Amino acid sequence: MSVRLHEGSIRLEGDCPVEDSEPLLQLLLENSPCAVDLGGCGRLHMAVVQVLLAARSPIVGVPGNAFAAEWLLPQLLSADERT
Amino acid sequence: MDELLSQFLIEARELIAQAGEDLAALARDGEDRARIDSAFRAIHTLKGSVAIFDMAAAGRALHAAEDVLERARAGTHRLDEREIAALVAVIDQTDRWVDMMEQDGALAPGAEADADALLARLGAGGTTEPVDREDGAAPWLGALLKRHADAADAAAGDLVAFRYSPDGDSFFRGDDPLAVAATIPGLVALAIHPTMPWPELEMFEPFQCAVVIEGLSAAPVDDVRLAFRFVADQVELSLVPAARDIEVSAQPGAAKSLRIDAVRIDALADGVGELIVANNALAHVAAQVDRVDPRLGGQVRAAHAALERAVADMRRAVTAVRMVSLGPSLRRLPRMVREIADALGKTVELEITGETTEVDKGIADELFEPLLHLVRNAIDHGIEPAEARRAAGKSETGVLRLAIRRDGDSVVVALADDGAGIDPARIRDVAVERGLLERDAADAMEDAQALRMIFAPGFSTAKSVSAVSGRGVGMDAVQSAVERFGGRVEIGSVPSQGTTIRLRLPLNAIMTRLLIVHAGGERYGVPLDRIVETASMPSERIVAVGAGRACVLRDRTLPILSLAALLGNEDSPSALTKLLVTETAAEPVGVIVDGFGERIDGLVRPKAGLMAGVPGIAGTTLLGDGGVLLVLDLAELVA
Repeated sequence: MSVRLHEGSIRLEGDCPVEDSEPLLQLLLENSPCAVDLGGCGRLHMAVVQVLLAARSPIVGVPGNAFAAEWLLPQLLSADERT
Repeated sequence: MDELLSQFLIEARELIAQAGEDLAALARDGEDRARIDSAFRAIHTLKGSVAIFDMAAAGRALHAAEDVLERARAGTHRLDEREIAALVAVIDQTDRWVDMMEQDGALAPGAEADADALLARLGAGGTTEPVDREDGAAPWLGALLKRHADAADAAAGDLVAFRYSPDGDSFFRGDDPLAVAATIPGLVALAIHPTMPWPELEMFEPFQCAVVIEGLSAAPVDDVRLAFRFVADQVELSLVPAARDIEVSAQPGAAKSLRIDAVRIDALADGVGELIVANNALAHVAAQVDRVDPRLGGQVRAAHAALERAVADMRRAVTAVRMVSLGPSLRRLPRMVREIADALGKTVELEITGETTEVDKGIADELFEPLLHLVRNAIDHGIEPAEARRAAGKSETGVLRLAIRRDGDSVVVALADDGAGIDPARIRDVAVERGLLERDAADAMEDAQALRMIFAPGFSTAKSVSAVSGRGVGMDAVQSAVERFGGRVEIGSVPSQGTTIRLRLPLNAIMTRLLIVHAGGERYGVPLDRIVETASMPSERIVAVGAGRACVLRDRTLPILSLAALLGNEDSPSALTKLLVTETAAEPVGVIVDGFGERIDGLVRPKAGLMAGVPGIAGTTLLGDGGVLLVLDLAELVA
């Protein structure tokens, strides 16, 4: 399983497929406020990213996947709510 | 007013002012290249901004103006007097259109005809359809280019803008829109937006795709199209020609300020809040290290202290950034005064002074509603009908004066009317009539005290209920709103000369970050800086130890207390236990709560009166809904 609670923060590990969005949402609901650590993750599915965007949780770590690190991380960090 | 529109109003007026200034200079010297460039840039940007709103007429007129200026820039055309006058007319009309957007959110029906007339003056005739460059395109494009102006400007060549709106069912079909986005060549900007504002997390449907992906690519359009080949029906592409070799000459006197979206400042403030919490956890680590290795412990403590100072400085800096001028929040007031006065058949003039006074953004945002209420009351109850004013020897036009000034650590917002004033005797009568006071008590009251009765809940001196001021509810609401951000209300009135109401507000409200927690069916606030961490765990991990309870968290035994029990309520057991870890003098303690709520910024007032003797309560704060939240003193509670 690539989503787990570890030392008070939610860790995403390896590639996170669509199936990870549900457990991630669950963990966020149960543990909010809680940081999400992307340090160990690789590719992120859109479903996972939209949960993170909607939750506006604090993000720590830099994803290993270059696309995620360059293009998704800044947006997750800024949590810009303007639609 | 929505954020985008209010931002637009500010920017559009600046651009209009800039273009107006350039055109005035061009009227003197039609060949001033720098002015032609500057006017072109202002009008070009303005055109991009109006594209976001339903302002097609303005878009057409500005487009034609831009064409004229572009020919002048290319050197193929010399601006003559007639053209400059026509350009000025476009700018003036655009200014009026911007006013319409502010007041009505739409252009007046005659706008298209006005635009046609302007086009004719510019020599563009009524025939030119806007050429499809980035113009005449969907509104998303204008917004996208505006958001990514830096990336777009930095690009050397043409760009392709894309907007990919995946089906809601994409995930079910096995599509990953991000995997598609990752294949786009030459990406220079990418943004993911929700199709609707994000719902509460509880309501979030994780398998429903609810986003739009937009961005810019520097790759050839065919290559971008190739990346989207499997989802072509969900994608819009648009060509954005390279920024037209505008020389970026250093603009003399360019403002050194930066306009930042308020949301980002709030995010910054939130970030500082997180830092405070993270730093609290470090203090705890330092204590742990101390036990193992005192020397290393000392170093960690020193690092913690340095970080704490830095965080405190940062917090002060963010607080300073949040100081804004009151002007923008008051911009709607003159029109509201005209409308209210019209509805009541009165003529009222509003004079505002000191609107550039700066206050904390939180206060600026909240001030408008209470102020509007005071204005309504002043026009409805204070300023007399024209006949009465004439009979009293006053001008038929009533005057409302709103004066804002700084006074030491406070900002005083005074609203004065030149109306009939408030008769203390009548206030006493009404208070008795309404059962708010006994006759004796009312008669014993000083006049000044009696005037304050209008802020008592359920008080209204209006003989009849009017549509404007409603049923007199509200003056008490004004008082509670002002108290919510730590201010107070003063009132003075002279019969037949008028009433002045002063709101005395703190310059910067010292807000405390609070986490709302639920326990025993109640909600409480806990200062965020008292919280080391929050955790949840299966309840079976909490075991009885002697008379108390404990659990193991991160290889340490943590004594456990229940917040509900501490506050004398019933514990409500559940399978999953939520814990708030707080630091006591000796060691961290876990406190069981039923749930975590939102985080708020609250002004915590010290406990007073009946509550003064209650242990474990730090004070109270008022919630946005008018409710009172008890703020816990965790240290005292768990001691």
